[in-house]
Amino acid sequence: MRHRVKPVVLLCAVAGTVALAACGAKTNSSSTSSGSSTAAKGGKQGGSLTVVLNSGYDGAWPAGLDPVTNTNGAANQSLMNSIYGQLIELHEGGKLVPGLASAFKFSNGGKTFTLTIRPGVKFSDGTPFTAQVVADHINKVLKSPCTCRPTWPVKTVKASGDDVVIDFAAVYAPAAASFIDSNANWVPSPTAFKKLGERKFRVMPVGAGPFTVVSDKLSSQIVLKRNPTYFKKGRPFLDQLTFKSIGGDEAAYQALQAGQAQAYENLSTPSLIDQMKKDPKLQVTQQLSTSPYNIQLNTNAPPFNNPKAREAIYYATDSEAIRSKLFQNRYPSTQGFTAPGGLFFSADVPGYRTYDLAKAKALVKELGGLKTQLGTINVLVAKQTTQALASQWAQAGIKTDIKSYDLGPLIQAFQSKKWTAMLQTAGSYDPAAGVGVAFRYASQSPFSGVHDKKLDAMLGQAAGTLDQGQRKTLYDQAAKYMNDKAYSPFLFAFAPASAAAKGVTGPGLTTALTAVVVTPSILYDEVSMGGGGSA
Amino acid sequence: MTDQAVRPGPALALRSPALRLIGNRLATAVPVLWGVTFLTFAVIQLLPGDAAQQLLGINATQEQLREFRDKLNLDDSFLVRYFHWLGDVLTGNLGNSLASDQPVTSIISDGLPTTLELLLYALVISLALTVPIALLAARNPGGFVDRVGMVTSMAGLSVANYVLAVVLVYVFAVKLGWLPAIYTNNTGTLGELVKSLTLPALSIGFPLFCFYTRLLRADVLEQMQGEDYVVTAKAKGVGPWRVLVRHALPNSLFGLLTIVALNLGTLIGATVIIEQIFAVPGIGHSLLEAINNRDVPVVEGIVLVLAVIVVVANLLADVLYAVLDPRIRYGRSAS
Repeated sequence: MRHRVKPVVLLCAVAGTVALAACGAKTNSSSTSSGSSTAAKGGKQGGSLTVVLNSGYDGAWPAGLDPVTNTNGAANQSLMNSIYGQLIELHEGGKLVPGLASAFKFSNGGKTFTLTIRPGVKFSDGTPFTAQVVADHINKVLKSPCTCRPTWPVKTVKASGDDVVIDFAAVYAPAAASFIDSNANWVPSPTAFKKLGERKFRVMPVGAGPFTVVSDKLSSQIVLKRNPTYFKKGRPFLDQLTFKSIGGDEAAYQALQAGQAQAYENLSTPSLIDQMKKDPKLQVTQQLSTSPYNIQLNTNAPPFNNPKAREAIYYATDSEAIRSKLFQNRYPSTQGFTAPGGLFFSADVPGYRTYDLAKAKALVKELGGLKTQLGTINVLVAKQTTQALASQWAQAGIKTDIKSYDLGPLIQAFQSKKWTAMLQTAGSYDPAAGVGVAFRYASQSPFSGVHDKKLDAMLGQAAGTLDQGQRKTLYDQAAKYMNDKAYSPFLFAFAPASAAAKGVTGPGLTTALTAVVVTPSILYDEVSMGGGGSA
Repeated sequence: MTDQAVRPGPALALRSPALRLIGNRLATAVPVLWGVTFLTFAVIQLLPGDAAQQLLGINATQEQLREFRDKLNLDDSFLVRYFHWLGDVLTGNLGNSLASDQPVTSIISDGLPTTLELLLYALVISLALTVPIALLAARNPGGFVDRVGMVTSMAGLSVANYVLAVVLVYVFAVKLGWLPAIYTNNTGTLGELVKSLTLPALSIGFPLFCFYTRLLRADVLEQMQGEDYVVTAKAKGVGPWRVLVRHALPNSLFGLLTIVALNLGTLIGATVIIEQIFAVPGIGHSLLEAINNRDVPVVEGIVLVLAVIVVVANLLADVLYAVLDPRIRYGRSAS
């Protein structure tokens, strides 16, 4: 993961309107399916769709599309899903649905997770898609450098008949949810890999997904065609799917208006969203957030090793003003690390310190002044937010030096441990999976400013609890504890919107889907150029 | 002298002013190209961020980072790596991309033709507009064409080409629907190529046209008002248009030629941005991405190729000087 691209993690992402999903989202501890549960009702068969992707994020695949070596895999979900398919899919309503795996279940009290591989499935090169292939792939990606590699407490991954059996060292509740934002979900054909060699496979990958690669110019354009052997009957609807990298929201909008593209995935410029909503030729759908913006404070170094300095930041931050004035109430408010699109959402945290300029001023005076740097990733929404924060904090007497980083320097800033405050996003569909809460707040993470054993234990306990109700209670307690300690103010839950030409239908394009990392994982096998589309 | 006449081969070639010029220019090109590659290498080292971390991502372990650095010798000193790269280049090997492991030569050969087509098209557009407008303006200074040309030029020079690109797309792609908003040359036909590249080429070529028009108009006017050969031609009864086109214009083209050649570097810079906006799959796109990834072999390879293009274009301009102006004979001034 790299910036422009990138910041999957660091980036900010994800949004929302209110949701179907939220707490009602289901992660089944045991689930089976026939494989096409996001219902396409009478989608039109055929047609060619061109999707434009932002060259600074999901439109960059400089390392190619082999799940083992693609370090930007988290951002390239549309491409990866279209080529490889998914073992487990995230559908509308926040439902985890079996894909290339026909079922998944916990056993051994939550220490074993078993995926049953769908029988009879073949890769697009005609070779069999077996449990052994999947187990070998998972073992391989566990060592891959992608941000999207699984971070499971895994002991062994083995094939047993049609099953892939994953043994964990401890109970690991987010096992199923962690597939959808990891490269374990995308299984390449080992035969094709051997035949083509690593270098060529990166450019012309072969999987068992709904589409096969026709041509691929890295980070520029990839043309895919329908895979006739795809395991879901009657899918995909499209005959051809083309992804083109483009310079940004404005250029994407014009390409849609002119008819050279029919969809754009990652729209985040507020003024353009409003403008596009008024365009009769387009449909704009706000996606569901899973990662709220937060202000990370480095509690190991001055000034934020002093709780009073942290409290001053809480009181000086008027997140409602930013949310309503800067972003016109587009993104929902949240006081913790959960968001409307994800699991265990609670908008409010008891005792949360809301904006109180008088208290902020008093604390700054007591501290004898307060100076800080506020860094963030080079992304429009993030940069606008840091500017607003700096001006709010100035009213309380806090002097702020704003810095925006590309991904590489941002990583280095974290690793140097010399940073003081960072505007970032924290959270994921399941708080314990992917770039979740531990990524930002656990002692062991290099991207955390908090080193608190009690918080580590709370988050660990939540990740090790299978009962969803109990997990929610534990996460609510963790959010309250973080607020009590004034570790990190939260602002709002950002998510991008999707835009599509009239006539196009599909989950994640014309209906809201839960964001996986930054953007929702659009189900292109269900996308159609007309007709009923998705339910 | 006689001996040289008897043995024409290399000696005769050395006496040819044009060949001597080319030889001299090529000799000076070597240090120029070396300097460009060295400076590019140095600048990339100065950029903040670590290539291994940048390429492997945020989750890379220390062991993976170390392996990556070892494999690509990233821990060697700057000079060692540079000369290692230079040694490979001299044997025709531009290396492989750090990000994708694809050969740099294939990345360049994939994108360069499109970039050159775009550059050429932009130049043709700018010059095809420049010459007639400048002549019309110079024919009647202060007249309608001159005034409109002046306003247009000022406007064109004041607007950044990426802003112009957005305006052109809005008018010609969105409103009129005549041309595509992004590169769509999937069939590879000439017609589709021209359609795909027209708006990008106009975005690059129009500001050039504005600049060149002011320059050529001023030069032609100067020729028309102050040069003896113009007065002589007029005295002989040659018509004003003929004086303008046959006498003043050829003399004024030298200045334009120089500026066009010198401007090529700027033109390439503009291409990098315009390729992004129009999703043109050229090497500008690859260059920008490689810089972001600290993908040194790709950056160096592309910069080297672009530098060669600029050097060759300037050399051609010099040779063209000699061809266009019989008074100019390089190498004779000393004798």
